[in-house]
Amino acid sequence: MAEPDTDVRSPARPVELGVLGVLLAVFFIASFWIQKPFELSGESFVRSIGIILAAGLTLVMYSFLYRDNPLFKAAENFYVGVALGYMAVQTWHMALRPEVVEPLFLAPTHDALFTALLHRTVPIVLGILLLTRISKTRAWLSRYAYCPLVGWYAGVAISSYTHSIVLKQLQAAIAPLQEAVTTGSAGLLTWAWFAGVFFPVVGSLAMIIGTVSVLFYFFFSLEHGPVGRGVSRVGIWFLMVSFGASFGYTVMARLSLLIGRVQFLLFDWLKLPQ
Amino acid sequence: MPVPAASLKRLAMIRHVIYLLVAAAVIVPFIARLHVGDFQPGPHATKLYKKLDSLPAGTRVLLSFDFDPGSDAELTPMGLALLRHCFKKDLVPLVMTNYPAGLDLARKIMEDAVDDSQKLWGKKKVSGRDYVLLGFRPGQVNLVLKMGENLKTAFETDYYGKPTVDMRALKGVRSLKDLKLVIGISSSAWVETWIIYGADRFGFEYGAGATAVMAPDLYPFLDTGQMVGLLGGLRGAADYEALIKQRGRGTLGMSAQSAAHLLVIVLVLAANVRFVFRRLSGREKG
Amino acid sequence: MWYKRTIPLLLVLAFGLAGFGHDYVPHPASNAFREEVTTGFVIIGGFALFIGAYSLFHMHISRIRRKQPGWAYSIFVFLGAALMVCLGLWNDGDWMFVDPQPGVVTSFQWCYDYILVPCNATIFSILAFFIASAAFRTFRARNFSALLLLAAAVVVMFGRVPVSERVGQFLFDSPNAFAHVSEILLNYPNLAAKRAILLGVSLGVISQSLRIIFGIERTYMGGGD
Repeated sequence: MAEPDTDVRSPARPVELGVLGVLLAVFFIASFWIQKPFELSGESFVRSIGIILAAGLTLVMYSFLYRDNPLFKAAENFYVGVALGYMAVQTWHMALRPEVVEPLFLAPTHDALFTALLHRTVPIVLGILLLTRISKTRAWLSRYAYCPLVGWYAGVAISSYTHSIVLKQLQAAIAPLQEAVTTGSAGLLTWAWFAGVFFPVVGSLAMIIGTVSVLFYFFFSLEHGPVGRGVSRVGIWFLMVSFGASFGYTVMARLSLLIGRVQFLLFDWLKLPQ
Repeated sequence: MPVPAASLKRLAMIRHVIYLLVAAAVIVPFIARLHVGDFQPGPHATKLYKKLDSLPAGTRVLLSFDFDPGSDAELTPMGLALLRHCFKKDLVPLVMTNYPAGLDLARKIMEDAVDDSQKLWGKKKVSGRDYVLLGFRPGQVNLVLKMGENLKTAFETDYYGKPTVDMRALKGVRSLKDLKLVIGISSSAWVETWIIYGADRFGFEYGAGATAVMAPDLYPFLDTGQMVGLLGGLRGAADYEALIKQRGRGTLGMSAQSAAHLLVIVLVLAANVRFVFRRLSGREKG
Repeated sequence: MWYKRTIPLLLVLAFGLAGFGHDYVPHPASNAFREEVTTGFVIIGGFALFIGAYSLFHMHISRIRRKQPGWAYSIFVFLGAALMVCLGLWNDGDWMFVDPQPGVVTSFQWCYDYILVPCNATIFSILAFFIASAAFRTFRARNFSALLLLAAAVVVMFGRVPVSERVGQFLFDSPNAFAHVSEILLNYPNLAAKRAILLGVSLGVISQSLRIIFGIERTYMGGGD
């Protein structure tokens, strides 16, 4: 990508600053004229100011498309801080306060406190040990906290992935062939036979060939001979079609995000009729 | 070899022209109020719709909104359409999220759906009785496993701080095993997590809404029957809105989506036509 | 030293075998153990956020202290975090703008709705421009494989928008023609490839899990002792 022109002595700079000033003026005039926040009160006023702020932040973010600039960098860093602060507060309200603070420090009865101490002391101590990860000399203490987690997740994953993915996917790959065999050859060469047996079998065989060839392509431990290279090539073709479909969907996804922001700018900020 | 300044300037100009074309393709359909008209919902959206529609009134349905504001444009319309459908059918949605950054987004979607229920069908929905906003708890996979044992100890209070132990909306629901249907709306691997650690373990049926980026990756789960339906991207949201006959942001965005897609297709084809001509004339190497 | 490495590895082995085996032990003690473990891990997960927060703040404090290029922008990170933490913890976010009433947005929620949501959504939406620009500048059918990718992408992009129904009706008298082709592409070659990738990834997860449980894979422990 071309390097942006950031030289402050560039002759284009005063022009850019002038255009920026004009755009800011247009933004504020349009916002206050359309939203009319000072004619509202209470929650409507708050909402109106919020929409103006959100629109301003949105347009500042989009200024990056022209080039990287101080307003964008400031907004970006501000957003990072806001996101972190938000997650910290929610983790406090949704997890630490109900799970740690209230059972231990605000327990209604002695029995409740004893139950909390019995069940929560070890996890709380391990949670505090987890924080030692930050230290260079004491980081080994955090292993006592996350090693049980890592081990537990690894153990649970083995049976879960085996059952839910490996066996189920293999079963689904073979199922249409099994159905075709059990259906038999009744009504051979009729339209119903083609639709119900022949095409599903052909499709299923094609999918099995595709699956096996893609798996073979990724098998790098053995050198592929002439036959192996042929099978890999078929696998690559299937992969290319799959990546093409994924690319098409990715374009759709990214454009949808842009459509969402444009809807906000046009209908919520500028109040255009829908 | 350094690139000449003139070429850099030309590349930058082409880039900015494309940006302007994309912006115009998205903005003009809204300003000109172009509508694509009626369209046929996709088969996977229809399957999910039929599954939800078949549930009797009073059935508890868990909806997990596992996304943050980065995927708001695609997934919020889906969430809203699903909740509207739940309220229309007098189902009891239990809403949660596994994303701390998505918590208030889930709250907003819930509140919008409650307002719509009042406006569209005159049905007043009360938190704790007709729906529950469970909120967020950390734990990832462990939270799903814990919910599979005891949902009320996994969420001892709801988002508003009310205890769940005697909540009317959770009557008859001790754990995930007591649920018939769970719908996960996600922008990440949470769809697979719910299937692997939830649906296959605890026996409920699972439907998904996913960003368009993830949708092609989920077709193996549709094929095995581990998912009863799939809403993919903004088009999936529009499909569901068409099925429940309630236009929303999904349907509204389809004209801009069509225009933008056509623009990208034209750009790609034009670039390739130029490439083929240059190759045939020997000016481009393969 | 044994308490720095050996005991943690034994913990991994013990919890790994417990995690694997608890599904196959129907005894109530196994279920009780699972419930204790899942409750405990939820609490530990709550502490993990602070490590991420510390890393981020440490990076920005270092940048300010060393006056690295762009250090002034790091101040905005602290301003944003301070704003949200103050609003979120003081009186549950109700000390500004509106009186606390049910259904009325608090100042904390206001900041989420009008700062966090637009910034987060806009940053991701910028990718729409980049993907269109990249598609024009780099997407070339240089060989058969690339041509397959290009064709699949065009078919899916066109088939997924409602305007394809109008075109299909006009050309083939069938509004679902393009959507149907798109679905065939997704349900057959795409499904085959994605299934293979899924199988490969799953086998990788299983083998990696076994390596972790038996202590062959130790990179998660970090360096040093």
